Amino acid sequence: MTTTGLAKTGMIDFRGVNKWFGSLNVLKDITLSVEPREVVVVCGPSGSGKSTLIRCVNGLEAIKNGDLVVDGQRLGDPATNMTQLRTEIGFVFQSFNLYPHKTALENVTLAPIHVRKIPRAEAEKAGRELLAKVGLADKVNAYPAQLSGGQQQRVAIARCLGMRPKIMLFDEPTSALDPEMISEVLDVMVAVAEEGMTMMVVTHEMGFARKVAQRVVFMDAGAIVESGTPDEFFSHPKTDRSRAFLSKILRH
Amino acid sequence: MIWQQLQSLAGSYPLALRGLGMTVMLSLISLVLGTLLGFGLGILRTGGNQLISGLIGAWVDLIRGTPFLVQIFLIFFILPEFGIELDAFTAGIIALTNLAACFICEIVVAGIRSVPTGQVEAALASGLSRWQRMRQVVLPQAMRIVLPPLVGQYVLLIKDSSVVSAIGLTDLTRVGWLVVQRVPNGLLVFFLVGVGYFIVCYPLIMLARRLEQRMGAAHGEVQL
Repeated sequence: MTTTGLAKTGMIDFRGVNKWFGSLNVLKDITLSVEPREVVVVCGPSGSGKSTLIRCVNGLEAIKNGDLVVDGQRLGDPATNMTQLRTEIGFVFQSFNLYPHKTALENVTLAPIHVRKIPRAEAEKAGRELLAKVGLADKVNAYPAQLSGGQQQRVAIARCLGMRPKIMLFDEPTSALDPEMISEVLDVMVAVAEEGMTMMVVTHEMGFARKVAQRVVFMDAGAIVESGTPDEFFSHPKTDRSRAFLSKILRH
Repeated sequence: MIWQQLQSLAGSYPLALRGLGMTVMLSLISLVLGTLLGFGLGILRTGGNQLISGLIGAWVDLIRGTPFLVQIFLIFFILPEFGIELDAFTAGIIALTNLAACFICEIVVAGIRSVPTGQVEAALASGLSRWQRMRQVVLPQAMRIVLPPLVGQYVLLIKDSSVVSAIGLTDLTRVGWLVVQRVPNGLLVFFLVGVGYFIVCYPLIMLARRLEQRMGAAHGEVQL
């Protein structure tokens, strides 16, 4: 790893990042910079490495080589405190991963109370406000098992927002949802984006991409194949692979 | 004949009570210590350090794979050869605690491993430290899986405590041996000894059953 060349950095900076699962090169020489307040949508066929890409950003996956600098801190550097860095990065999972033994409010306040050391009363007040903001003011004391998928995912987003992160990562946040619940989650994500959050979103929701994304990145077989504004990408895809991919997701 | 035996048995009442007290005392102390140690070992075993995990695994296998009577003899009769003199009660507590800890360790490990990876990832992603992840996210969910077999293990522990009579502790089983020398009716005497153990164990068996039912119905919340 080099220590030079850090002069200009985005919020998230991939430079020549590679990653292998065994002999499989899941990320191939990824170079991508996400500016503060930018919303980047990552799409591509399954197995293309898009989930792995964003999981690297908060260190759920380790990179093999290249540089990945997040909020000015280089991942894998012994000087980087990953636990600290993770408090600045919200992560929304495909399968929500709410804590089943905690209520919606407890899910939201857990990290603020224990990691940020915010007094309980204050954290709960903020938590109620966040749950109200995602439209779940009446579900504060519900357990995840009592909520629909869309409601669970909105709690999960509120849980991230409770930490007041600088970056939010979304890993196919609507893929596990019934169609009628997708829009309630997307609406919340649009609201978060419009407040100026730096976001990387793995999704095939083109409506969302067109509405809030500054850039769409198309991945295939571990590499970034194409990158452009949503309009460019969806209306005038430049490569055969992106055209083939779009024709498949557009057919439905 | 049987009437005389019963009268004679009634005379052994204080001795029986002492034996029952010893059994309960041994079980209770080693149950508490064994639970604490077992949870500690279980958490360390899943902690990610290969060496520590391997050592604990080897020890647990060794203890689980050897007769408890042999373990007690080693502690009580062989340790003095190396200059470690223990009274029978301490030796019994150590042996029982160690046995309980090893079985409980395996139960705890199974419970921790049953918690989905996504839960740990969610906790990790929100910046919780290793201990916070364990305490706030993993253990409460693992307890669901752990509690019923844990209470079951307590029942086994109480019954295993009968083995300490072999090193001269006057527990319920040894009281049986003493009494049967005076009252030559082994069937009756050891039937009563069995009843004594059952009285101690049955509430725990009922507790385990109730826990299993409650765990099935709950959302998974357990207050630690």
